[in-house]
Amino acid sequence: MTAIVLAAAVGALFALGTFLLLRRDLIRVVWGLAIISQAANVYLLAMGGIAPATADSVPVLAGHGDHVPETADPLVQALVLTAIVIGFGMTAFALVLSYRVYEEHDTLDVTELGDRE
Amino acid sequence: MRTTARAIVPIVLVVAISLFVEGHNLPGGGFIGGVLTVTAFGIVYMAFGLDFLERGVLGREVDPGKGPSRDRVVLAYRRLFAYGFAIAVVSGLAPLVFERPFLTQTFVMLEGVPIYDHLEVASALAFDFGVYCVVVGGLLTILSVVGAE
Amino acid sequence: MSPDLAVVVAAVALPFVAAALTPLVFRVFGERTGFLGTAVALASFGLLATQYGTEGSVALEWIPSLNVALRFYVDGWALLFAMLATGIGALVFTYSPAYMHGQAGLPRYYAALLAFMGSIVGVALAADLIAIFLFWELTSLASFVLIGYYTADDSSQYAARMAMFITVGGGLFLLVGLLLLSIVAGDVLGPGAAFDLATMLENPDTMRSALRERGLFIPVLGLLAIGAGTKSAQVPVHFWLPNAMAAPTPVSAFLHSATMVKVGVYFIGRVRPMLVGEEWLFLFATLGLTTMTVCAIMAVAATDIKELLAYSTASHLGLMVAGFGFTSVYGAETGVFHLLNHALFKAALFLVAGIVAHEAGTREIEELGGLRHDLPVTAAITGVVALSMAGIPPFNGFYSKELLFEAAVEASHHHEIGVLGWLYPAVAVFGSIFTVLYSLRFLSLFVGERPDALGHVHRPPVSLLAPPAVLALLAAAVSVDPQRAVDLIVQSGLEATAVDPHAMHVGLPTSYSTPVGMSAVTIGAGVLAYPAYGRIHDGVRAGLEAVPPIRANWWYDRVVEGLSDEGRAFAEWVHNGHLRTYATWTLAATCALALTGFVAAGAIVPTTMGLEVTVPIALVLLVAVIGAVAVARADTHIAGILTLSILGFMIAIFYILASAPDLALTQLVVETLVLVIFLLVVEEIPERYEIEVGRVARDAALSVAVGATVFVTILVTTDARPDGPTEIARAYAEQAVPGGGGTNIVNVTLVDFRGFDTLGELAVIALASISILTLIVMRGRGDASPAGDDGSRADSTDDGPTADAGTDGGPSGGEDA
Repeated sequence: MTAIVLAAAVGALFALGTFLLLRRDLIRVVWGLAIISQAANVYLLAMGGIAPATADSVPVLAGHGDHVPETADPLVQALVLTAIVIGFGMTAFALVLSYRVYEEHDTLDVTELGDRE
Repeated sequence: MRTTARAIVPIVLVVAISLFVEGHNLPGGGFIGGVLTVTAFGIVYMAFGLDFLERGVLGREVDPGKGPSRDRVVLAYRRLFAYGFAIAVVSGLAPLVFERPFLTQTFVMLEGVPIYDHLEVASALAFDFGVYCVVVGGLLTILSVVGAE
Repeated sequence: MSPDLAVVVAAVALPFVAAALTPLVFRVFGERTGFLGTAVALASFGLLATQYGTEGSVALEWIPSLNVALRFYVDGWALLFAMLATGIGALVFTYSPAYMHGQAGLPRYYAALLAFMGSIVGVALAADLIAIFLFWELTSLASFVLIGYYTADDSSQYAARMAMFITVGGGLFLLVGLLLLSIVAGDVLGPGAAFDLATMLENPDTMRSALRERGLFIPVLGLLAIGAGTKSAQVPVHFWLPNAMAAPTPVSAFLHSATMVKVGVYFIGRVRPMLVGEEWLFLFATLGLTTMTVCAIMAVAATDIKELLAYSTASHLGLMVAGFGFTSVYGAETGVFHLLNHALFKAALFLVAGIVAHEAGTREIEELGGLRHDLPVTAAITGVVALSMAGIPPFNGFYSKELLFEAAVEASHHHEIGVLGWLYPAVAVFGSIFTVLYSLRFLSLFVGERPDALGHVHRPPVSLLAPPAVLALLAAAVSVDPQRAVDLIVQSGLEATAVDPHAMHVGLPTSYSTPVGMSAVTIGAGVLAYPAYGRIHDGVRAGLEAVPPIRANWWYDRVVEGLSDEGRAFAEWVHNGHLRTYATWTLAATCALALTGFVAAGAIVPTTMGLEVTVPIALVLLVAVIGAVAVARADTHIAGILTLSILGFMIAIFYILASAPDLALTQLVVETLVLVIFLLVVEEIPERYEIEVGRVARDAALSVAVGATVFVTILVTTDARPDGPTEIARAYAEQAVPGGGGTNIVNVTLVDFRGFDTLGELAVIALASISILTLIVMRGRGDASPAGDDGSRADSTDDGPTADAGTDGGPSGGEDA
């Protein structure tokens, strides 16, 4: 049941992102991208296993001793951390691009832009 | 708003830097420190405007007749991330001198440092500093450029 | 005696180095660069000559992990071909400066010619399958540049494209054939020999039986034949060669008569010991004889002297292929000896054709005649080489043609081939009659009456005359004492290509035998039919024009035009400029593929749940989804942005609950920044909201499909996830303190274990920043010009359209980094 909740949530996020991606308004397309990348991050992290939040599961070791507790998958976390920052860069770039498109063409309607070619 | 900013910005900056330095051992690191620093600058920008940032923080004279003064700020940011990238690459190249693979890291223990008693200085810190610089420089560039519009 | 690696590598590398230096050299020496090319060719020739008599392979490590090495194999056959290429190369370089006088783009010409020469030497000497393929395609590339030398001329471009299309296309067949060969060799001869042609050739019987066992013999033979056939202009793809005559004449002489087109023949000879058999006979003898006859007839129909020579070249290539096709030792003798003879007389003929075209100003056969008065030396040269081409005794072409007849007759003694036993010799004779005809026609340019319409003919300079003269003298030398040439050159080539080589003897026939009779018939019929040349010429032309589908060129045009029209129509249909079209098709296709894959693999049976999700997490995710719904339903941009950050903060909380404090911190801060930037941008853009209602249903359907796919994917993948932490996670956790000196495993992973990935990510951030910078700051509004060191760059884009400034972002990012 619980995995279904996660799957349903991520699936719903993807669906909504896709819906926004297909809108004619360029800004909404950017939102769609942002939502999809967030959902993908969640999915990635979930693949590493979601440990119940306890002191041991946080991938920060208590000290320099030999004891290495069972932690959440640190590799996935590093991956997602990178993905977040890149996602931010991408979103910002897409936004500025949209802004410039608006400045140049005076419209944000994707269909109209496509027809102008 | 300005009062709050005066109080908050130094705290945020200190937290950011401590996050960066402690990042190797506690939650934090170059990314988070960098992004938080950018937030601090963002607050300054929103509270006081870009000109203040340039005069106050970078210590430059602003020529009021020159219109938007974004370009010099941007230039400073751009330098920052160019240097940051260079630091990251150079720190990665350094192990090559010792005939180790690219980006090999190591660390040394410094004993008897005040406050910390003993401090680990990992060579990864240099790389992390590069990360920090790139994130700060890059994101600030974005922020200031967009903000200047 | 084994060859010297350094010398061999130097011989191959020298032309390439020279090609790279050509633009510099040309600044100093101008049009005299050609003579330096001669020096390079002679140096390579000399280096190769020092290896005369050696045999064996030498290797330079290249990709050791794949067993690919830059391996060279030196033997008589390789040396013969490589030295032909460099020798004729030297003559062509000597010829070029006078011929190409005053043309533009000469550095390109000389560089391509040098690179071409290096590639040919490379093909000849390479013993590694990958290296062979690379050099093989390099010759095609160089040929493309050289055929398309007259860049402003449409026919030149058409011919270049055609040659490229056919030879490179054929090369791909060759590549597949070589890979099959390497797979089999890797199995049979050990992984070290997977790409080593020399080892394969040392174990021909093992390879042959292994290929047959796996049922790969016929496919490999066929693929290699397609590769070699396209390169050597065999029917039905012979038509690119006459078109390639759009190239400057020295190029035609070098590439399209003496060397490049012979690469196919050379390669057939190279693999002959390994693949020879009954199928080999049927394939290559039939292919070669067909090409020989068809192209000889086409040559008779030619109206242009270069066209005549081009078809004749294809015809002679057919002769060589047929020679190698016959499995007896005479076959190999034909192939090797004719390769040498043909290079001597055909290169000379092309150079003569160049002289005629250059000095008389026309290449039309009808307009030329009686040139012996104006060009006496050229006429003498032509006499020797044209009669050699015709195969008239005692000229050198006679000996190799006689060997072909002998091989054709012998074929029925070695194999049960039924009616082909007499068809092969008959076709060989029939085709050769046409060879005699067009050779005499070419010679007739120099005899008879001078047409009145022909203007003044200049005397050619020495540098134009010397190269064909050298070739004619060599041809004459071989004619006078063929046995010496055989002993010196052909015998060692024969040993590499024949299955059962023995000492070879040639000479003028002293008594009657079947081949002698065939030669007599050929020459007699040719001479008798010559007076009717005009009628044969007209008849063939009329036939070709009446039924265009007979011509392979017609098919080529139809196919290429059809494909490009179809391609254009398809591109317009798919590439209609609408983002939603692209997104729809991409997403729908991805979903369909993923779901089909799951169904096909029978993966959709979630029996156990791999993940435990606690109630708080479920709640947080629920809020996130509600946020997303709100975003999708938002009326205004501002509302959308604010709800979008609700989603973001919920995700941050999810990270906290999933024991990822670093992520949560980053996500929180990034979300704040995204909010700020969105607001800053949106504030500039007026509110607009219009949606075609009709499309909502379709979009919603697609969205649901995507969502469902993701849903299924997650269920399937979490189900397949291994229990507990993965090995790599375990290793990172344990190594964090001793290896990285930090207790924050995530950070240690980022900056230490996976530092290279992080570096790449930094590059992405830097690029994004620079792109944004370029988009906004350098858009060239003409207002306050940017200060500082980026002023010049900004100024330079001032007048340009903004879209260009955007694309500048990438390269400038590279500089700054």
